[in-house]
Order: sequence, then C-alpha cells, then structure tokens
Amino acid sequence: MSGRYDIRLFKPEEIYFSRGKGGVLQGVVDGKPYEELVIFRTFPFRYASEYISVRTTGGEELGIIRDIAELSAECAAELDKELQFRYFLPKVHRVASVKFKSDLWIWELETHLGETRLTMRNLHEHLQFPGGNRIVLTDMHGKRCEITDWHILDAHSRRQLEDVL
Amino acid sequence: MSIMDQLPEQLRKQMTGELLLSVKTDLLPDGRFGEQWLAVTDRDIRIWQKDGSPAMKFAVSELKAARAVGAVGGGTLLVDTLDCPVVIARYTAAMTPVFNFAAKLISALAKSEELPVLSERDIPKQCPTCGNPLHEGTNVCQLCMNSGKAAARMLRYAKPYKGQLAVAACMLILTTLVELVPPYLTKVIIDDVLQARNLGSTLLFLILGLGVTTLMLSAMQTVRGYIGVWVGSKLMGDLRKDIYGSLMRLSISFFDRRQTSQFIGRVNSDSEAMRQFMTDGVVFVCGESLRIVAIFVIMLSLDWKLSLFALLPVPVMIAVSMTIWPKIGRRWYQQWRSIFRLNTLVGDSLQGIRVVKAFGREREEMTRYANANVEVVRNNIRMEGLWQFMFPAFNFIAGIGTLLIWFNGGNKVLHEDMQLGVLMALVAYLGMLFGPLQWVSQMINWASNAMAAAHRVFEIMDTPSEVPEANRPVPLGTIQGMVRFDKVTYGYEKHHPVLKEIDLQVKQGEMIGLVGHSGAGKSTFINLICRFYDTDEGDIYIDGISIRQISQSDLRKQIGVVLQETFLFDGSIADNIAYSKPDASPEEIMRAAKIANAHEFIVRLPDGYDTRVGERGHKLSGGEKQRVAIARAIIHDPRILILDEATASVDTETEQQIQEAISRLIQGRTTFAIAHRLSTLRNADRLVVLDHGKIVEVGTHEELLGKEKGFYRKLVDAQKELSQIKGVEG
Ligand SMILES: Nc1ncnc2c1ncn2[C@@H]1O[C@H](COP(=O)(O)OP(=O)(O)O)[C@@H](O)[C@H]1O
Ligand SMILES: [Mg+2]
Repeated sequence: MSGRYDIRLFKPEEIYFSRGKGGVLQGVVDGKPYEELVIFRTFPFRYASEYISVRTTGGEELGIIRDIAELSAECAAELDKELQFRYFLPKVHRVASVKFKSDLWIWELETHLGETRLTMRNLHEHLQFPGGNRIVLTDMHGKRCEITDWHILDAHSRRQLEDVL
Repeated sequence: MSIMDQLPEQLRKQMTGELLLSVKTDLLPDGRFGEQWLAVTDRDIRIWQKDGSPAMKFAVSELKAARAVGAVGGGTLLVDTLDCPVVIARYTAAMTPVFNFAAKLISALAKSEELPVLSERDIPKQCPTCGNPLHEGTNVCQLCMNSGKAAARMLRYAKPYKGQLAVAACMLILTTLVELVPPYLTKVIIDDVLQARNLGSTLLFLILGLGVTTLMLSAMQTVRGYIGVWVGSKLMGDLRKDIYGSLMRLSISFFDRRQTSQFIGRVNSDSEAMRQFMTDGVVFVCGESLRIVAIFVIMLSLDWKLSLFALLPVPVMIAVSMTIWPKIGRRWYQQWRSIFRLNTLVGDSLQGIRVVKAFGREREEMTRYANANVEVVRNNIRMEGLWQFMFPAFNFIAGIGTLLIWFNGGNKVLHEDMQLGVLMALVAYLGMLFGPLQWVSQMINWASNAMAAAHRVFEIMDTPSEVPEANRPVPLGTIQGMVRFDKVTYGYEKHHPVLKEIDLQVKQGEMIGLVGHSGAGKSTFINLICRFYDTDEGDIYIDGISIRQISQSDLRKQIGVVLQETFLFDGSIADNIAYSKPDASPEEIMRAAKIANAHEFIVRLPDGYDTRVGERGHKLSGGEKQRVAIARAIIHDPRILILDEATASVDTETEQQIQEAISRLIQGRTTFAIAHRLSTLRNADRLVVLDHGKIVEVGTHEELLGKEKGFYRKLVDAQKELSQIKGVEG
C-alpha cells in the first residue's frame, strides 16, 4: 500500500464510466460501482483533459486519471461531456464585436455552445492570459469564455481583438 | 407563491396543483446556451422546452430530495428519485441563487417539511429595459445608465474654481487679441513706412507699439500661467482626495481580488492625466478656437479670396482627427495596461522580497520583469510612434495652404494687384492659424489619455460597496452583546459556500470558542460578524437587530478584533494603541498596555512608547506586536471581542502572558475566540465545532470531551499525541 499520503494514478483498466439513467455520471472503480461520481480538473487552465480527479459525492478522492485519452473511447467521451458540464467555459469561435459603450466593454461572441454576450467594466481585470495565445474572458457576473488561440481565429475576429490586446 | 419568470399561459394551463415556483433556465440539458422552463407545484415538477413541448415530469411522491450542485461557472439541479439521481436543469453562475432555492423547495416538498420562502436576495435582479443582470445593492443598470459623459463629470471638478477660471479666460481672450496686433503693425510698417519711404517719426511710434504689445503679452501670459498652475494643483488635490475616499468606502471583497499596491500609482497618475486635460487642455481649446475665429475674421477682411485657400486643408485635418481619435484612446489604454502589469509585478515581488531572497529567485524575478518591460517598451513605441507620425502629417497638410497663398498672393503682388505688406500679414496670420491646428493632434493625445484615466477613476467611484450602508440605520447606543446567527450561508464565491446554514445564539458576555480544522470556516465566521462581507442567505442579529440595519461605524465601534497577522501602522507604539481613540491620554494608553502585558517590554525599549513601528520602523517580535494589538483592542473598549488565532505565532510562555491579558480583556464582553491550541479555549463558556462550514458540535469543553466518538474529542486527542511527541523531542 502506498498509503493515504500518496496520489493514486488510475490504470486505464481500473476504471469505467458511463451515464446513468438520470443523466448523472456513474462508474465502476476497482470493481465497486458508484451511482454518482464527481470529477475535477486539477489544472483547469494548463491541462484540460489530463490529471482529472475522481471523487465520490462525499468528496473522497478515489484517484487521478493521468490522461483521458488513455481510457476507452466510450469512457473518454463520457468524461469529456461531464467536464464540459462541470467547467462551463465555452470556446469562442468568432468575435463578432468588441465595443466600448457607456463605460462598459461589450463582447458579442459566438462559442461552441451558442452565441453569448459578455460585459466588462474594464479589460485589465477581466482578461487573463494563461500562456500561449490563450485568453480567458470573465464578465462582470462571473460568466467565462475562452479563446484557445487567438491567432487562428478568422480575420474579422482578429481585427476586433487587435485593438484590445 | 414565488414566481421568478412568468410562465407562458399555455404551459400554465397544463398545471394542476398550486404553482410554487416557475423559472427559466439559461442552459439546455446538453450544456449549450438556451432556455427551458421549470415549474414546481405542490404535486409535481415539470420541465418544458422553450417551444412548450414537455421534456420531463416528476410527481413529488417519486422524489427523495433535490440538490443544486455547483460547478465552475454554472451548476446542475439534480433530483434524487427513488430509483437514481436525475439531472433536471443546468444553468450558468448568475442563476445559482434561484436554483439553490429550487432545490430547497423541492426537497422540502419531497420530505413534507415546511416550505422555504423565496427571499428577495435569491432573485437575481435584472434590468427592466435590457435584461442584463444587475449587481446586488444597485438598481441602476450599467448598460442603460449613461453615466454622464466622463468629460462632463470631469469638468464638474472645475466648478469650485469658477472665479479663477473666469479670470484666466479673460486673460486668454485678451492675450489672443493682443497677439494679433504685431502682424498688423508689421503690415503697416512695410506698406506705409518702408515702401512709402516715410521718414517721419511714424516708424518709432510703430516700433514702440510693437514693444508695448509684446510686454503686455508676457505679463498676461505670466498671470494666466500662474492661475492655471494654482487651479490645476487644487483640482488634482480634490481628485486624489475623492479617489482615496472611494477606495476607503469599498468593501474588503473589492481588495481581496486585487493587488493593492497598484492603487498607489493609479491615484496619482490618473488624477494627473485628468488635471492636464482640464487645465491645459480646456484652456487650450478655448483659447485656440477663439484665436482661429479672430484670425479668420482679420484675414477675410484683408483679402477674402486669397484667405479661402487657407481653408482648403481644414476638412482634411478634421477627417484625420476623427479617424485616429478612437485608435489613440485604445492605444493609451493598452499602454496603461502594460505599465499596470509591470507595477503589479514590482509590487508583488517586493512584498515577497524575503521569499524571493530565501529561495534565491532574484534572477527569475528579473527575467519576469524584463519580459513585462519589453511589452511596455513595445507599447510605448507604438503609442509615441503614432504621435510622431501625426505631427509632421498635420504640419505638411497645413504647409500646403501656405504654399497656395504664397503662389497666388505672390503673383498678385508681382502684378501689383496687392501690396507686399498685405501678403506678409496674410502669411504671418496663416502661420498663427496653423500653429493651433497642428496642436490639435496634441490635444487629441491629451484628451484621450484623460478620458481613459477618467473612466478608470469613475469606475472606482461608481463601484458599489458590496456591504451597502443601510438607508435608515437603526441607532444602536451601547449594546448588550447578544449575537444570533440565523441560517447563515456564505461563500466568497456565490456558488461555493464556505459556511452553510449556521444557526447559533450567543448570550451577552458569553465566550465562544470556535474550533475546527484549518479551512473549516472559522475566520469566515468572524468576518461575517464584523460585516466585512454580507451573508448570502440568512441574517446575523446583534441585540435582535440585523447587522445590515446598523450603520457600519456604529457596528465597528462595538467590535474589537485581534488577529493572527497583526498590522501596525507607521507611527509610534502610542499612536498604534490609541488608533481607535486618538484623544486617549497617556495614562489610558499605559493602562491599556498594562492590561495587555505590554507595558513592561515597551518601557524597556529605548524610545519607550514613542518607538516607531510599522513598515519603516522598529521590528517588534510576533508576540510583542500581538500584545500591542490587544492593547489597541482594550482601549477601543468594545462590547464584542473577536480573537482570531491571537496567540498562534508565539511560544508557550508568551502565550501564557497573552492569555492572561486576554482573560482580563474578555471580562463582561461577548467574545469569539479562535485558537490553534485547544487548551487555550478551556475557559470558553461554549465551544462551537465547525467542519466544512457546518456546525457539528456545540457544548462546553467537558461535555464535548465526554462524547465517545465526538469531533472535538478527536481533535483534542490528536493534539495531545502531538504535544507528547514534542515533549519527548524537546
Ligand atoms: N478572501 C477569500 N476569498 C476566497 N476564499 C476564501 C477567502 N478567505 C478564505 N477563503 C476560503 O474559505 C474557506 C474557509 O476559510 P477560513 O474561514 O479562513 O478558515 P479557517 O477555519 O482556517 O479560519 C477556505 O476554504 C478558504 O480557502
Ligand atoms: Mg483562520
């Protein structure tokens, strides 16, 4: 036993995930079935699909998945979906406009989850640059969107961004 | 009945029982943006899609409970059916309070308990006109409110100095007019004296006239300049005072999320930018426009056809100005942001300079700085570069007008259609005309910088405090010190509660010891009593009055705090002890220090009570600082006393001294104490054990120790073990 002071990394065959009837994530860990499991990104900014912590609803950590891609396609898809629900961070496809109107910056965005609008009081507190060309936008009410790489957006979006970055 | 969003009629008709709640989600079950309807009646729970087609339905009898599971940026409403848990709705973070309520409501229905009531705070307020969510405590929508153009608001600061500014304006008009005289005199000299070979005394008089006007000009410019400096400095002082006042007014949570050293620069540089615009900028615009008008009048009267050439470049200049105006504003902001990042970095690493040195990371810190610095340099070049291009461009455009006049006017002079003096005067006036026009670009620069600064400043001024002052505060007088927590839930981030449903009644004069693992929410608990933050749900009452109804200065007068991290201000020890009562007499100060067990060590310091402490002063040890802080609390004479790990950073002997001091301090006061060493809480009337934000046990030390499998007992046992080990080692 490595003891309770060590991080446990799962081997792909030790775990299995599926979706329950009611739409919650369930799974089997070490042969033991769980009706509801909760997953956390341990490095939400740096590793979106790696180092995923698997916990019971009570908050006990069962172990860490090193990389979702190591799991079977079916499990991986289920986890991906669950991560999207738990980490609501739409990816921006297109920046329709960035306007500065009556003291507020208003962003009209098209994301992979639909269109949305973010409002910010200023840019210096609401834009994060976690590295690379990644931008995380947070609006006044805590809603967040992400631009994975602003260099690969279309020309129109880039032009909108150029002035504010 | 609590209706959040009005259910469409056709859906309403499908309901049978009494409608308890109806609400629109903002996400679809698959996580995309979209809407769904949720309605709860006393019999069933239903979900419809946006178009009204039914999606889900549960009878209350099928359910065991419901939960709102918070995630990052949103959440999920789950019901536990007899069979398995089922996801019934998803929502973004803004809707969290409503769905927390929905979960409570459904749970209560399922368990046939008393139904909760929707409080006003659970409803995310929306702007009636644009539908955007509103911030708590305000009813003004940021989007719809046109917060009075920043410029107009800025100019309001100039109001108290109307008189001085009027004088400056008169001076300005005069100087402008006087400035126009010399070219005219030159014209007269050329045409009527030099060309006419007039050998009389006219030349002397004219030159004397020229001399007098120049002298007057200099005198008036001096006076005007002085007034400008005077008004400007005053204005800047007013602005700085207001910005600082706004900062003081803001709640702790505003500063939790920001690095504080950034504000030092902001208070100073932003007010400077605004001042520059208001004094130099406004005076400049008024003066120069006046001058332009005057020059045109004179030029037109000299030779109107020729003067029209001078007008040709003007539209071009206006067009160019209009196009670059927004660009410059944004570039200023970019530049400001890169400097802002640089400052934040410096503030961070200097505050942590000990850690930097201890780990030998100076080199890495320098690299980090260098990278941020490169960014500033790049933005600087971009900004100033644009400006370097603008100036010559304006110059060139203006030059074209002069060329046209030279050409046409020269021809006229050659054909003797025009006198040489008139041409010379026209060219001179034209030079004076394009002077100001060229400076238009400078003006654009100033103004856009000032606007950007004004936005940042007004943003601070407009940020509502998250713990708003009551409209009509209840007068408090001297309180008894009863404290009641009524179902208090609070999270620093709304979707992540740190304290959950805390119920506690504390009698006056009682001493409560708060225990629990680190991170259990003990400090949060006392932060709420001080009203550093407002509860998300439930209320806290002091002597039966909700603390939201008490004015904050009244409240803080009744509360004294001693924290683990003691902050002493720059000043003497005496100043620090008398912080809350500046008029305290030396006896009072000494008495307080004596009770706090601090008198002895203070007297032994070379400078006694006048020893300078704080950032730049004498470094007191942790235990000494702590005792000064206790003395500070004693002199404050609060009815409610809060001690947050007041003895955590000292050795056992010092702790005993502090403990003694504290036991004298708590006499007759309601006390909340958090202590790392549980033994120090033995005298507490009651111990409250917190775990993961919930109260798990309440009772006296003995009572709780008596519980076989009790939480407190486990904590005590663990500490005993630890101290035994220490004993052996020591
Ligand atoms: N200013 C803050 N902003 C966000 N979270 C905080 C803040 N202060 C404390 N927390 C979180 O709240 C929880 C309770 O903290 P605290 O009340 O300080 O615990 P303790 O019982 O050790 O005093 C912790 O999980 C901590 O991370
Ligand atoms: Mg604490």
